[in-house]
Amino acid sequence: MADVDEITEAYADWQVRCNGNRRLAKMLRGWDRVVHLVASDTGDGFTVTVAGSVLADLVPGLVGQPDLVVTATSEDFADLFWGDLNPSEKYVSGDIVLAGSSEDVLRLDAMSMVAFLDQ
Amino acid sequence: MTGPRPEGAHAAPAGPTGPTGPTGLRRAMGLRTATSTSTGLAFAALQYLAAAGLVTYVAGDSAWISILVAGLLALLAWGYFGELNGMFPTAAAIRRYMAQAMDDRVALSITFTYLGTIVLVVAADAFVVGAALTHVLHVPTWLTAVWTLALLGLAVASNLRGVKVAGWVQEVATVIVLAATMVVSVVALTRAGTALHTPLQPFHHNSGTNFIESVALGIFLYSAFEWVTTSAEEVRKPEHIHRAMFLAVCILFVVCAVMTTAMGHLLSHGQLVSAYPQLYLGERAFGAAGLWVMAGITAVTAVNTFNGGFITASRFVYATAREGSLPPFLARLNDRAVPWVPVVGLGAASFLVAVVVEVVGGSSWEVLVAMGAALEGMIYAVAAYCVLRLRGRLPDHHRPFRVPLVRVLAIVGMVVFGVLGLVASVSVSNRFDPLPLAIIVVTGGLSALYTVRQVPRLRAAEAARRAATGRRRPARAPGTSPTPTEGPPAPAPTEPPAPVVP
Repeated sequence: MADVDEITEAYADWQVRCNGNRRLAKMLRGWDRVVHLVASDTGDGFTVTVAGSVLADLVPGLVGQPDLVVTATSEDFADLFWGDLNPSEKYVSGDIVLAGSSEDVLRLDAMSMVAFLDQ
Repeated sequence: MTGPRPEGAHAAPAGPTGPTGPTGLRRAMGLRTATSTSTGLAFAALQYLAAAGLVTYVAGDSAWISILVAGLLALLAWGYFGELNGMFPTAAAIRRYMAQAMDDRVALSITFTYLGTIVLVVAADAFVVGAALTHVLHVPTWLTAVWTLALLGLAVASNLRGVKVAGWVQEVATVIVLAATMVVSVVALTRAGTALHTPLQPFHHNSGTNFIESVALGIFLYSAFEWVTTSAEEVRKPEHIHRAMFLAVCILFVVCAVMTTAMGHLLSHGQLVSAYPQLYLGERAFGAAGLWVMAGITAVTAVNTFNGGFITASRFVYATAREGSLPPFLARLNDRAVPWVPVVGLGAASFLVAVVVEVVGGSSWEVLVAMGAALEGMIYAVAAYCVLRLRGRLPDHHRPFRVPLVRVLAIVGMVVFGVLGLVASVSVSNRFDPLPLAIIVVTGGLSALYTVRQVPRLRAAEAARRAATGRRRPARAPGTSPTPTEGPPAPAPTEPPAPVVP
């Protein structure tokens, strides 16, 4: 299990990658969303806000009304933010559970992909 | 890297859709939108042609009986998809329940073949709308290809720009199409001024085989109502999908029954087997104005078909490519985060099919209807198999909805839908024609060949890339609980994203 600090650290790395990616900035234009992350094994919840093509800092707890809810294990969240996990595969296998529109889901998946294209 | 949990980080234990559940979403789909989506996806322009074609198999205005029987069978399919959707309330449900119920290679082959239905429907719809425009404008028939290209071009361009028809637009479009079809059918029937000829005699001058063929075609009138299951993650309440599918089947029965009764009662054989029988129906109801009204209504059906077809197919191809079962270039995204390769590919494939239909001429579009009906029969039979198989394999899995008498109803479904699918695949224009079956077998064979030969190579290449890349996540400090970073290279469940270049 990954604890809150591990997930926060992983997210911080992902946030820098995403916010520094010009391609992603274009893709996120007009996509202002509130995303709730729920760790199914620890019960921890986090809120990610995207506004003006910029990812805000990870906020502990579930804040505001979400556009998208992502439920996964804490390990999967940490791996996802480090770019070590393909969320699509986890999604198809049912390990990552989503609630939200298919367009929002695709946008989130795009973020996880485009942020690590240099790998 | 372990540390104390910040205040307020704890969330309620997550359920199947997270602690807030779908009800907490800012933008969630209600029952009305889900119902209109399910109905709108099923009611394509091709439905008019299928309904008219069905009339040629049975005694005129008794075609509603075939539609009733097909509707009851569609309710059987509704039961299967209701149970499967309840078990796997996700857009990836078809991949999940098929992979659980059968060998993944078989599941992928079937899924790829089924995907062909979307290409067929989009192509046929573009052709039908184009043919209707050509007819009402009294212009040369070759212009049908131009309208088709323009329609598909518009659909591709709007998709590439990330335009998605809003739920309310979809609702309005569906209501307009269904209401106009009902009004035109009822007015046409009323204006005929004569009683129905054979409302209860489907076998009048027809054989039992013809009736079976008409039911097989009738299944096609309901086809795609189950595509709404891909919206399972965005509904306000999980049961909305299940209820929406039921309501859609009921609505489709009423509209299609009235429409076929009117067509069977009023249209000649030549009009019934034309590429625009709905225009003749409109003409019988309101004269020249009715012709234009139905041409407009035919064009409106494209809103739902193109929107649903393009989005469903392209996103499915994207997800399958990201999953590693299709080449990575199919997951390339444009600057609006749209998987542009599948969108352009679907548009091009649909245009090609539509042009072939036009060039071949005659009633070649009926081959598309037969293929669509056959593939729907096949997927319903597969759904019945999955329900039965998963009852054995996953007996304790949460099932909000269960098919009653599953052993009986699943086997009945497998047999009935299998037979109807087979019958539909060898029947074109009320005569034996194995062309649809041949095309399906070739498509299925190519899908199977791809799955057996190419998919393992793609996955091996991805595994090699993964092993060479290594992991980014830092190792934990000694003494803390182990993570996969301390072990050998990442196993399959924790692999990095596919090497795509959007």
